[in-house]
Amino acid sequence: MLVLGTVAANIVRVGFVAALAAAFLYYRCARSSSPHLLGWARNSYHLATVALMASAAVLLYLILDHQFQYKYVWEYSSTTLPVPLLMSTFYAGQEGSFMLWALYTSVIGIVLMRYSSRRDYETEAMSVYSLILSFLLLMLVVKNPFTFIWDSFPADLIKAGAIPAGITNVVVLDAAKGIWAQYPNEGRGLNPLLQNYWMVIHPQILFTGFSSMAVPYTLAVAALWKRDYNSWIRIATPWAVFGSMVLGTGIIMGGYWAYETLGWGGFWGWDPVENSSLIPWLLCVASIHTSLNQRKSGAFVRTNIVLSLLTFIMALYSTFLTRSGVLGDTSVHSFVAPGMWVYWLLLAFIAVFTGIGFGIFFVRMREMREIPVKHSYFSREFALFLGAFAISFVALFVAIGTSSPIITTILKGKASAVEIAYYINTNLPLGIVICLLSGLGQLLWWKHSNAGSFLKSIVTPIALSLVVTALVFFNLGSADFLILLFTFCAAFSLFSNMKVGYGVFMGNPKFVGGSIAHIGIAIMCLGFVTSSHYDSKATLSLERGKPVETMGYRLTYLGYKELDSERYAFNVQVEHGNAKRVVAPIMRFNKEENSTIRNPDVINFISRDFYVSPVTVEEENQSADVPLRLTKGEPQQIKALGIEFQGFGFDDDHQAAMAEGKEFFISASLQIADGKTKRRLELKMKNGPSGAEFIPASFVASGGETYEFTLTKMMPSQQEPSKSAVEINVKLPIDETVPKREETLVVEASIKPMINLVWAGTITLIVGFLLTILRRSEEARRNGDKWEGDTA
Amino acid sequence: MKLKIIIGGIVVIAGIVLGALNFLESNVEYTDFSTAERTNKKVQVKGEWIKDQPTSFDGEKVKFSFYMKDEANRVSKVVLDGAKPNNFELATSVVAKGKFANGEFHASEVLTKCPSKYEGTSESVQKSL
Repeated sequence: MLVLGTVAANIVRVGFVAALAAAFLYYRCARSSSPHLLGWARNSYHLATVALMASAAVLLYLILDHQFQYKYVWEYSSTTLPVPLLMSTFYAGQEGSFMLWALYTSVIGIVLMRYSSRRDYETEAMSVYSLILSFLLLMLVVKNPFTFIWDSFPADLIKAGAIPAGITNVVVLDAAKGIWAQYPNEGRGLNPLLQNYWMVIHPQILFTGFSSMAVPYTLAVAALWKRDYNSWIRIATPWAVFGSMVLGTGIIMGGYWAYETLGWGGFWGWDPVENSSLIPWLLCVASIHTSLNQRKSGAFVRTNIVLSLLTFIMALYSTFLTRSGVLGDTSVHSFVAPGMWVYWLLLAFIAVFTGIGFGIFFVRMREMREIPVKHSYFSREFALFLGAFAISFVALFVAIGTSSPIITTILKGKASAVEIAYYINTNLPLGIVICLLSGLGQLLWWKHSNAGSFLKSIVTPIALSLVVTALVFFNLGSADFLILLFTFCAAFSLFSNMKVGYGVFMGNPKFVGGSIAHIGIAIMCLGFVTSSHYDSKATLSLERGKPVETMGYRLTYLGYKELDSERYAFNVQVEHGNAKRVVAPIMRFNKEENSTIRNPDVINFISRDFYVSPVTVEEENQSADVPLRLTKGEPQQIKALGIEFQGFGFDDDHQAAMAEGKEFFISASLQIADGKTKRRLELKMKNGPSGAEFIPASFVASGGETYEFTLTKMMPSQQEPSKSAVEINVKLPIDETVPKREETLVVEASIKPMINLVWAGTITLIVGFLLTILRRSEEARRNGDKWEGDTA
Repeated sequence: MKLKIIIGGIVVIAGIVLGALNFLESNVEYTDFSTAERTNKKVQVKGEWIKDQPTSFDGEKVKFSFYMKDEANRVSKVVLDGAKPNNFELATSVVAKGKFANGEFHASEVLTKCPSKYEGTSESVQKSL
C-alpha cells in the first residue's frame, strides 16, 4: 500500500502536464482549426480531469483507511471520527482544499467544454480554462498532499538497525542498509471547531461557487480573442448567475455556521475568510447587472469585460490573502504560512491571469465600438449602471479593508487589521444607494419611464416603506438616521420589487427571477438591521437552581450533562410568557491542551432568536485564591493577617548543590502578623534536574483556620536588594459564614429580533437566481447571436 | 456630458475620501504598553501571556484578567471585557486591543495566535506513535 500515495502524486504531475498540453493544443486549434488537433486537445483535458479524480479518490481512500504514514492523513484525521467528518478531512488542510478547488474546476470544465463547443467558443475558452486548471494542478504538485510523514520528521521516525519486536507500524525504507521508519497509529484529528455537519456541506458548496468564478473570466478572454464583444454576454450570463447563486449560498451557509455553532454571536464578522468569498461574489453580481445594459443598448462593452475579468482575479487575490500567510495574526483565524513556494506561486497565478486578461483587453480596446450611452437619468439603464457601480465600490472597500494588514505593513511597517466599524461605515451609505436603486430601477423598467405612470407606481411602495420604518423605529427603538434610511430603502426595494414582480408574473412568469432575487436581498437587508442593530445582550451568572430574569426572559441553570470525555452540555431552562424551553449550550474542555471551545444554543421564535452562549462554569464554593505581590519591607493585609516579605534564603549548602547540578532549594521568608504574634514562614522552591517546583506551605492562624501559601514568582533585585519582591498565592480558608454558593454557569444571552428574515431572504434570493438561470440558459440555448428585443 | 463627468468625479472622490478616512480611523495603531499609557488612545499591543502569573475571572462583571509582556518587555495586567478567549492556553502570542487606564490595560478584544495547534510538531509525532 505504500506506493499508492507515490502513484497518486505522480498522477497529479501527469494531470498538470495534460492540462498544460490541453491549453497549448486548444491554442493551436484556435489558430488552425484542425479537427484532428481538437480531438487531442479534448483528450488532454479529459486526461487532466481523470487524473485529478483518480488522485482525489486515492486521497479519500487513504483517509478512510487511516493510513497515517501520509502526513496529511495524520495531520487532519483520526480513527475516532464518524465517517462523514472523516471524509470532510479531505479538505481540512491547505493541500486538500486546493485539490477540492482543482477537482471542481476540472469538472465544471467538462460542462463548459460541451457548452462552449455548441456556441463556437470551445477552442478559445478551453485554452484559457485549461491554463487555469494547470495552475491549480501545479499548486498540487508543489503542495503535494501525498508526502510521507517521515519525510517531515526524519529525526523522530527514521531509524536504523533491527526492528524491535512488537512494533508493527513500520515501513522498511532500505532493506540493504537496515533503514526503516515508524509511523503513527493515530492521527491528530480534526480541529474540534470544525467537527460539525456544516463542515461536510459548506466547503463543498463554497468551492463549487469559487471554481465557477473562473468561467466568466474565461469567456471574457475568449470573447476578446475572437473579437466578439457582444454575443459573449449571452453565453456568459447563465454561468455568472450560477456562480453567484452557488457562491452566495456558500457564503450565507458559512454565516449560519458561524452563528449557530461557532458562537461568533452574529452571522457575519467581516473576517478575511468571509470577505475573501464576498469580494468576487459582489463583482460577479455587478457584472450581471451591467450585462443587462449591454443586451439592451449595446453599451458598457468594456465595463462588462473588465468586471468579468476582475471577478476571477479578485478570487485569486482573496485566495492569496487567506492562503499565503500575509494576514499573519490579525484575524481570529490563524493563517499558517504555507511556505515560500506557495506564496510565490499564488502571486504568479495573479500576475499571469491579470496579465493575460488585461493584456488582451488593452490590445483590443481601440477596436471596440464606442457606443454612446443615450439613456436619460430616469431610466432603468442608468439605475442599473449606478447600482453596479455602487456594488463594485462595496467590493473595493471590502478588498481594501481585508488587505489592511498588507497596506499598513507598507505604510507603517506593522500589520494591523481594520475594525468592523470600517466595513459598516463605508458600506452603509452604499447599501442605502443600492437598495434604493434596486427598487427604482425595477419600477422604471416596468413602467417604461413614463413620468406620470412612474410617479403613480412609486406612491404605494413609499407609503408601505414609511410604515415599516415607523414600525421598526417604534418597536425596536431609535437609531441613527442612516440606519433608518437604510431600513426605509430596503423596505422600498422590497415593496417595489413585489409590485413589479406581481406585474411581471401576470405577464410572463419566466421573467420574474430578477424581482424575486431583489425581494430576497431586500428581506435580508431588513433582517441585517433588525437582528444586528437592534439586538440586545446580557451577561448573566446563573447559580444552579436559582432563576434570573433578563430582558423579559427567566433563565434557570439546571445542571450539566456529560456528553463524552470532553464535551459537557449545560442545560438552561428559558421561560418567556407561557413558553418554557431548555437550551443546552456545549463547552468542550480539552484537558491535554487545557483549552475550551464553546458552542452556543439558540431558541428560534418566529419573531426573534434567543441566543445563549456559554462563557464559563464556576464550581461550587471552593476556597478562594488571592494572588499577592510583596515588595521587601512593605507588609500587606489579607483578612486578619499582615504579611511581609523579608528576603530570600539561599545558603552555601544549596549554592554548592546548585553548582554540582544537584537538587537545591531557594526560599523566600515571610513574616506573618496574626493578632499580636508574629511568625515566620519559609516558602520554598525546589530546583532539580527535572525543573523547578514551588512547594506550598500551610499556616494555621490563631482562630484555627488554615491558609495555604505558595510562591509563584521571585524577583530579586541585584542592584537594590531592598527592592526585591516576590509573588505569592494565598489560598484562603473556607469561610463558614458566607452562604454556600452553588455551581454557577456564566452565559451571554442575546435577543436577535427578526433574524429569520435573513434566512428567509436567502432562500428567496436563491429561488430568484434559479429562475434567472433557467431563463438565461434557455435564451443562450436559442441562437445566441440573435438580437431580440430584450425585456429584462 | 461635461457635467456628468464632473458629478461622477465628485461622487468617486467623495467615496474614496470616505473610505480613506474610515480606513485610517479604524486602523488601530500597534504600540507597546508605555506608549499606550502616555497617549491614552485605543491601541493594539502584541505580546506574550505570562503563564506563571495568576489569571482571574470575574463572573459577575465578566472580566478576564491576565498578565502580558509586550515587545518592549514591560509587563502589565490586562483586563478583558469578556471570558477567556478560545485557545488562550495554546497561544504563542496574543494581541490585546484597548486602552490603558489606572495602571491596567483594558482590552475590548484579545486575539490569540496559535500557529502550532494544527500543524504537526516533532513532539506530537512522538506522542502519536
